[in-house]
Amino acid sequence: MSVLEVRDLVVEYSTVYGVLRAINHLSFEVGEAESLGVVGESGSGKSTLGLSVVRLLPPNARYAGGSIVLDGQEVTRMSNSEARRIRGTTAFMIFQDPLNSLNPVKKVSTQLLEAVEMRCKKLGETYDVEKATREVVEKIRDVRIPDPELILERYPHQLSGGQIQRVIIAMALLMRPKLLIADEPTSALDVTIQAQVLKLMNDLKKEYGMSIMLITHDISVAYNISDRIMVMYAGELVELGSADGVIRSPMHPYAKALIASIPRGVMRDAPLEPIRGSPPNMIHPPSGCRFHPRCPFVMDVCRREEPREVGQDGRVVRCFLYG
Amino acid sequence: MGVKEIVKKFLGYRGTIPTATVVKEGEEERRLSGYRFYLDYLIKDKVAAVALAIITLFTAWSVVEGTLQYVGYATRHRALGWALLPSNPIALNFAASLHPPSLSHFPVYIFGTNFSGESILSRLLYAAPKDALAAYLVVFSGIIIGMLVGTFAGYFGGWADEVLMRVTDAFLALPGLVLAIALSVLLGSGYNSVLISLILIWWPTYARFFRAQALSLKSRGFVEASKLSGQNSLMIILRHIFPNSVDPVIAYAALDFGNVILTYSTLAFLGIGIQPPYPEWGSMSSNGLPYFPQNWWWSIIPGLVIMTVVVCFTLIGDRMQDLIGGRLTY
Amino acid sequence: MQTSTLIYLVRRVINAVVTLLLLIFIIFVLVHTIAPTPVALARIYCGSPHCPPAELQVIIQQYGLSLPLPVQFAHYVVNIFHGNFGIDTLYKVPELQVIGQLLPITLELVITGLIFAVIIGLFTGSIAAANRNNPIDYSIKAVYLVTWSAPVFLVGFILQLFLAYELKLLPPSGLANPTLGNPPPVTGYPYLSAVPQPLQGWLSGLVRAITSPPLIDAAVEGDWRFFVSGVHHLVLPALAIAVTSFGVVTRLTRASMIDALDRDYVKLSFMKGLSKNRVVYGTAFRNAVIPIITLIALLFGFSTAGAVVIEDIFQYHGMGYFTVQAIYNLDYIAILAITIIVGISVIAANLVADLLYGWADPRVRLE
Ligand SMILES: Nc1ncnc2c1ncn2[C@@H]1O[C@H](COP(=O)(O)OP(=O)(O)OP(=O)(O)O)[C@@H](O)[C@H]1O
Ligand code: SF4
Ligand SMILES: [Mg+2]
Repeated sequence: MSVLEVRDLVVEYSTVYGVLRAINHLSFEVGEAESLGVVGESGSGKSTLGLSVVRLLPPNARYAGGSIVLDGQEVTRMSNSEARRIRGTTAFMIFQDPLNSLNPVKKVSTQLLEAVEMRCKKLGETYDVEKATREVVEKIRDVRIPDPELILERYPHQLSGGQIQRVIIAMALLMRPKLLIADEPTSALDVTIQAQVLKLMNDLKKEYGMSIMLITHDISVAYNISDRIMVMYAGELVELGSADGVIRSPMHPYAKALIASIPRGVMRDAPLEPIRGSPPNMIHPPSGCRFHPRCPFVMDVCRREEPREVGQDGRVVRCFLYG
Repeated sequence: MGVKEIVKKFLGYRGTIPTATVVKEGEEERRLSGYRFYLDYLIKDKVAAVALAIITLFTAWSVVEGTLQYVGYATRHRALGWALLPSNPIALNFAASLHPPSLSHFPVYIFGTNFSGESILSRLLYAAPKDALAAYLVVFSGIIIGMLVGTFAGYFGGWADEVLMRVTDAFLALPGLVLAIALSVLLGSGYNSVLISLILIWWPTYARFFRAQALSLKSRGFVEASKLSGQNSLMIILRHIFPNSVDPVIAYAALDFGNVILTYSTLAFLGIGIQPPYPEWGSMSSNGLPYFPQNWWWSIIPGLVIMTVVVCFTLIGDRMQDLIGGRLTY
Repeated sequence: MQTSTLIYLVRRVINAVVTLLLLIFIIFVLVHTIAPTPVALARIYCGSPHCPPAELQVIIQQYGLSLPLPVQFAHYVVNIFHGNFGIDTLYKVPELQVIGQLLPITLELVITGLIFAVIIGLFTGSIAAANRNNPIDYSIKAVYLVTWSAPVFLVGFILQLFLAYELKLLPPSGLANPTLGNPPPVTGYPYLSAVPQPLQGWLSGLVRAITSPPLIDAAVEGDWRFFVSGVHHLVLPALAIAVTSFGVVTRLTRASMIDALDRDYVKLSFMKGLSKNRVVYGTAFRNAVIPIITLIALLFGFSTAGAVVIEDIFQYHGMGYFTVQAIYNLDYIAILAITIIVGISVIAANLVADLLYGWADPRVRLE
């Protein structure tokens, strides 16, 4: 059984300029103990996707269709109190900007203890401060922060970016969610710290066996961590398949271009090419295939009609080149 | 930093700009700024459109009436000043003393009369140009002085900046009204001394504003680029810093016209500024104080007129701040 | 206390003193620009444009107005720090004595008004933020846009007209029922004589400001009839002050509350599964009130200025009422003294706000 099942999801924002459809008829699933990498350029709707799964969309967004089944429960039609129940212990999302993710006026320890308290409440365990503190210290150690006691007594502004990100990962571990959504967990950090945090996530994935949905614009990061990769373009799925499959033999022209633009990626000998053209207008998206203005293989039909998803053996592509 | 981030940063938007409409940095910035942008949205918004109409009316009336008064004064035909008014605003007529608001002799008595029997409507209309002039003159002088002082201090930094910050701190430590009272009393009564003291207390806010803008702009990509390409500082300030910092100030300034009118009329209420028999909105209100509450209209109607004009400025300023802050989407 | 906290404290105090000195300097410069010659200056000190020349000479001698400017400035500063603002032209007593009696009355009014304003503002602002973009939010906004655009005197008149004259809920004017007479002020501070001479003037002023607002006096002396009557008379003008200034608080509360609610740490709190109330009032509100603290000083200044008009309308005989009298009598000495004392009060309020800010925000305190 899969932890997350998204069917035909549509999410829209209302803006001054009109309605912006950030997610357009998206379907995929995440299996138990599986990790899925969601890749796409800025503005392709990745964060929106994560937020819609945990029901934390901003007020000007709405679910305009489709369904999200998280651990057997339908998310899009939940009441607020039901949504509260799934947050944290069923799905936990780490937000894009770690540096602003901790409450500046509370100590780190207070914020982590709150997490344990909430978990205990939900799972019906008894909450005991001393036990909880021990658990918090242990998890801080798990995320490879030396001197946990010292860190716990600090305020967020006294921590480095890497430390904050680790604290948040520790918080996720304390909640023991079935699905962990990590939105660009590394892009606010500098390169060496990035590698450390990625390695940590990889280790923890094996250790804890939770499902992970990793959101990133960097396809090589996704390749490092994920079992499967989903490539998004302008709010739509363009390619989905095993990480190896997508990286070694991308099918969709956009996926090909993404992989070709990796600086020193898996395919060292391929020529390095930036993707030409500019991101699409999301309020008035291009007709037909949304990628057609930038696609090197564009055909007449691409301008007129929208391609459908075609798939076999768990590989899905949305492009007229493949029928 | 991606284009989206740059635009977000520039306008303080939080995830509300559709990325996709951004084509080039330059174009987007132009599209979202300038008076056309504001005007477009202000007109679409009914409340703001009404406010804009009232302000336009107030300004147009002030220009016409002010010109007449000035020409009348210059050519010694003072009656020209009330040629367009329903009645002579400074002619005593004790027969009509303390006439309550009524429709008889429309529109002369619509707002009632004061103790001397002068029509409050005529006096309000007669006094309007002075308020308009004060509002526009004080805010624009404040902007110009603040822009010069603030931009240079912010751009060059160092001790000049330190001194500026300290001086404006000291200025802002005093409530504007209190400093204005002290200055105008010292300068001697009269319209000009009120204007001078208002300008003197109004510039520090703008200096702060422009300083902050200059500080944040001077480390931005396009400024750094011009620096590297060897442009001199004066050119950079003229080309990049001034134009880019004016925008956020516009919204604040719109609100500020109202603030000036409030301060100005409060000074008049306290008897500072234009002297009798010439009417002033604030002093009309305070002249009615001994006759309050029996002859309530004398004090209250001028206050309501002031409020109406100020509310309109406030509404427009508020709307523009919403636009700049990108909060309209919610 | 941690050293960092101490450093923060000391820095703020030094800052306040520097600002005060600069303020005095600015006023000095402005006065001397307006009246560049000793004779012109003497006219200002004399309080009448038609002062006989002989008297002008006396004043020039008395105040040292023909001395070099730096010396004059030094005298000016020293005088102010001694609490010596000159002799009031009308009452013929030291200015500090007059103001020392009137300031507490005004402080009582302003602080009460401020408390009303902050309570109304926090309340309406949070409601508006929690209901953003629905009719409740718009109604709150409509109300505060109108109230903060209304001239102070209009608000005063309207409140007086409806609450006092129409509904007869509250007395329309005065400090207290005039038949009651003032309670004797708390007098005699024997310990003051132990203080070095230059500070005595200020300290007694300060002590008076703390112990002698009439209501506190009345309460201390057990004069409850006066107290009740005083409170009765206080409410209306304080309300007028609150009405004109709560909008700023509402607006900032709404904005900073919305800002806080949009922050990732609020999302993360929701993510942990905390209840909405706990997130809104525990996490977001706690962060959102921090910027409000900086408003206190601003509001204090604004309300003190507003009190000038309000006291005039409500015949509330405090420093504001005295200011209006001074304007009509061209009592320059009083006006300069009031300006500086208001400046000092606002700077003090700023200092209080800074300290509160440091207490509320660890980022500032621990820097
Ligand atoms: N609150 C909002 N209001 C209006 N539009 C929004 C809002 N948040 C996001 N959008 C728009 O929705 C689209 C998808 O945004 P989203 O943040 O999901 O993209 P993303 O793939 O996460 O991009 P990034 O890599 O920059 O984080 C973008 O076009 C964005 O401008
Ligand atoms: S559908 Fe056509 S335009 Fe779109 S990616 Fe495929 S080939 Fe290119
Ligand atoms: Mg994102």
